[in-house]
Amino acid sequence: MEKKTRRDFMKTLGVSIGATGVLTSSLLSSCNRVEAVSGDKIKVLTAGGQLVEVDISQLKPAEFPSLSENQERGRKGIPGKSWVMVIDLSKCRNARECMKACQDHHQLRPEQHHINVLQMQDAEHTAPYYMPKPCQHCDDPPCTKVCPVNATFKRDDGIVLIDNERCIGCRFCIAACPYSARVFNWFEPRDAEKYEGVTYNIEANVPQKKGTISKCLFSADLLREDKLPSCVSACPNGVYWFGDRNEDAVTNGTTKETVRFSELIKDNAAYTLMEELGTKPRVFYLPPKDRAFPFEGDAPDHHDA
Amino acid sequence: MYKRINLFIAVLFVLPAFQVIGQDWVVPAENSAIENPQEYTLKNVKLGKDLYMVNCKSCHGDPGKNNPLPLVPVPPDVVSDQMQSNSVGDLYYKMSIGKGAMPQFETTISEDNRWRIVNFIMNYNSNRKQLLEDKPPVKAQLLASINEDDGTVNVFAEYEDKGGDYSKLVDVPVIFSLKKTFGNLELGECITNENGRSDFIIPGSLIGNEEGFVTIVVSLGEDYEAKDVILENAKICMSKEVPKLIRQGVIWSTNDNLPMWLLLSYIGMVGGAWLAIGYVVFQIIKIRKYSKE
Amino acid sequence: MNKIESPEESRKLLDKIFKDLTRSIVKKDELTRFWFFILLMFIGVGLWGWIIQVDRGLGVTGMRDYVSWGIYIANFVFFVAVSLIGFLLSSAMHLLKIDWVKPVSRVAEQIAIAAVGLAGIIIVMDMGRPDRLLNVFLHGRFASPIVWDLTVVTTYLTISVLLFYIPLIPDLALLRDRLGSQVPKWQLKVYSILSLGWKGNPKQFKTVYHAMRVLMILIIPVGLSIHTVTSWLFASTLRAGWDSTIFGPYFVAGAFVAGTAAVIIVMYVYRVRHGLKDYFEDKHFNQMGKLLVFVSLLYLYFNVNEFLVPGYKMKLAEGIHLSNLFAGDYAPMFWFAQIFGLFIPIILLLFKFFRKPLPITIISAFVLVSAWFKRYIIVIPTEEHPFLPIQNVPENFHHYAPTSIEIMIMLFSFFAAIFIISVLSKLFPVITIWEYAEEKGIDKKYLSETPKN
Repeated sequence: MEKKTRRDFMKTLGVSIGATGVLTSSLLSSCNRVEAVSGDKIKVLTAGGQLVEVDISQLKPAEFPSLSENQERGRKGIPGKSWVMVIDLSKCRNARECMKACQDHHQLRPEQHHINVLQMQDAEHTAPYYMPKPCQHCDDPPCTKVCPVNATFKRDDGIVLIDNERCIGCRFCIAACPYSARVFNWFEPRDAEKYEGVTYNIEANVPQKKGTISKCLFSADLLREDKLPSCVSACPNGVYWFGDRNEDAVTNGTTKETVRFSELIKDNAAYTLMEELGTKPRVFYLPPKDRAFPFEGDAPDHHDA
Repeated sequence: MYKRINLFIAVLFVLPAFQVIGQDWVVPAENSAIENPQEYTLKNVKLGKDLYMVNCKSCHGDPGKNNPLPLVPVPPDVVSDQMQSNSVGDLYYKMSIGKGAMPQFETTISEDNRWRIVNFIMNYNSNRKQLLEDKPPVKAQLLASINEDDGTVNVFAEYEDKGGDYSKLVDVPVIFSLKKTFGNLELGECITNENGRSDFIIPGSLIGNEEGFVTIVVSLGEDYEAKDVILENAKICMSKEVPKLIRQGVIWSTNDNLPMWLLLSYIGMVGGAWLAIGYVVFQIIKIRKYSKE
Repeated sequence: MNKIESPEESRKLLDKIFKDLTRSIVKKDELTRFWFFILLMFIGVGLWGWIIQVDRGLGVTGMRDYVSWGIYIANFVFFVAVSLIGFLLSSAMHLLKIDWVKPVSRVAEQIAIAAVGLAGIIIVMDMGRPDRLLNVFLHGRFASPIVWDLTVVTTYLTISVLLFYIPLIPDLALLRDRLGSQVPKWQLKVYSILSLGWKGNPKQFKTVYHAMRVLMILIIPVGLSIHTVTSWLFASTLRAGWDSTIFGPYFVAGAFVAGTAAVIIVMYVYRVRHGLKDYFEDKHFNQMGKLLVFVSLLYLYFNVNEFLVPGYKMKLAEGIHLSNLFAGDYAPMFWFAQIFGLFIPIILLLFKFFRKPLPITIISAFVLVSAWFKRYIIVIPTEEHPFLPIQNVPENFHHYAPTSIEIMIMLFSFFAAIFIISVLSKLFPVITIWEYAEEKGIDKKYLSETPKN
């Protein structure tokens, strides 16, 4: 009985770890599940999907908002921010570290991609290249236009988010998205039993739920802690720049270099995907000129016809 | 079956062998023998270091600190034997054409600059004189204040000398940057004068947040161990209006911001139809009433 | 209208009409029971499939992240299309005072009710979280075409039911008064309640006419909306093949074709099964045939616009989609639908011979099947060709093929629709008796007379 109460208590509050802990606080800062093992030890599932066992004395309750508070602040967004991503196509090697980090963070099955590294070729004789494709977080999002229940919505900080506690699974947004950015939980999500009973975090869309939509959300839970999205910091090749358009700065996830967003996209002639559709994406691409790695994929059939 | 086991064993033994071979990166002899056209000078080594910091450090880590990115195979440290056993020609060749996770820098770094990076790597070669020495950072102190009227930052820097006393730092670069969400954006640097002082003029084009505030970070180069001075909420620049994304009347918005015309036409049409249906139902009631007449 | 003078003659004729048209109601035979057994069995199997789907997730279907709408949605569009015939036959043509359509209008309403009801059910079956259906009412977003669609589907269903019910009231009174012991007690009770104590006085008839007129006018905008809004589910997206400005009228025209064919088939079944040769006459089939040619030509016109115009330009994504339809994976289905659902019927039905009951019914069956294929072609191929390549996903994400669960649920929808039509025809006359009698010159006053026997 005692165990159960503590477990519930931990579940709702989340945990953070003391300075003397075996684990760094960064590992635990965004974890939201604990499970009692025995008297003094406790099992903790981190945001990265690792199951670790720590001493109970190292844990102290941290502020973890209740579901309704989380949903409310998740709908408002992070005040004053306007997130943008810049993807440097000349740097991508198809290492897929971004895809792995993303799938671990967001509890995705191997075939579910919030971010997908595509092999592209724009026309018959042009050079093929790798293109990481997250959700474009459009400023005129076709997906939120069609949602019948406000389950997907645009926030003031630019992120298009999903509330999978409300989603009815009609999949209209999948049909509407020209970037194929959305995935559906056709089955029970990955590690469903591990995540059972965890309070839903709208900003990570974890735990995932069967019969609802998921998609890239710029790791909004990490942004709230002033951390870069998982894909951005996982990249070994400096492909991603991420930052706030309002303060005109983007930071490279690999080198941690910070530059002016406006200069970066101006100097490199950045473009957005399918701008002719008028969706006004928030993800900017730097052209795949002077690529750092040779293309080693199958020369893709342009458009996969 | 026997054959298959054979094959299996072969694969078992050959595979690791291939991996070893794979790590052996053979450079064609003619490339290996090329000598560095760039002179081995302090200037070139320094330039090479700057290039290394931007292009190579993210994987190979800081020289001598053994902190590379955990890739397979692990990118060797600059000071390691694995790195230093290469000839200058080998190094140049490898960084130019790349392999696996190693980018082909011939597309992004000029020939001269690639040779300068080679010079930087050679700085750690036991057969060469080390031009650029890694000294342990000197303890230093930094004082900074902001003059909001003329838009300058006044800095005073001093360091701890061998006797443990602090004395002014002369002719040392001080770096000024803006604090942003995920990192610091460098604005520029200035050199301290003979009094250990320096004034940095904030560029007029600087744009702050909604209230016109910026946070300026003043720091010394990595040769000195000094706490950065963070000048918070300095009002030295133009304010910038933060555009409101969620506005009234966009069709993608939530119901709270639904375009009025859409709501009115929806309610009008649906309401009209259901009023008419209600009227028909009323007629049905009337039919019932009439049957009592 | 030939007025019959003699009261005796009128009574005799009315008795005959009543007897003919209620034969299906009073008849109790093995075949009917077997028919209902078959229908219920398929409905049960389909519902079982749905329970499996709810339990295991939509993954039991062939749908995946790229083709995320499959035959459920194709089926939904098909049913909405078929339902539109209620609006055409029992309202638009009535208002145009086209008299031959009167005996057909109740058949059209039966089909409309069954089809639109099933369309609503299929949408729920397609949802990933049917348990959250209430969210649509709690959090409904007025800018979403799905909310519009749900609104018009419910409105149209309500109007269709009313349009079925109001002209039925005088008939219900007839059934109540005349059937006596031929049907079970509960059935009489139902008639009695539903007939609202109908006396047949002029005021009541006037109210019936008035209410019908209001409904007939009301159903025109609602009927047009239901299919236009359904087309907007596709046309409001940016996807190649759906991003079309003529989808509304294109869908409406296609709906008339499918619905007319469905009505012809049901008419023929009633004619043969219930011996209504003198009621669904050759002339009705002849006229329906002409109507089918007319709406098919209209549909052909929209088809030409829908395929020729983008085919002329062959924009990149659009071009891939069209070549896939014209000569790719979907070519057999596409050309089957166009040739057997449009070209050949138009040509054949120009000849009087093919407008005879049996030939036209066979043609209609082809038209109806083609109409279903056409909906499949509208929904699925577009999704198989998104703008960006499909990569890093299992093979079954690339191409859609319905699974057995989907087919079970699809069969459920067909049999459930037929079940609704069967129940309606088993409980109520398939032709409005009083209207038909009036047509034959029988005065209204004879309707309210209770026969002596």
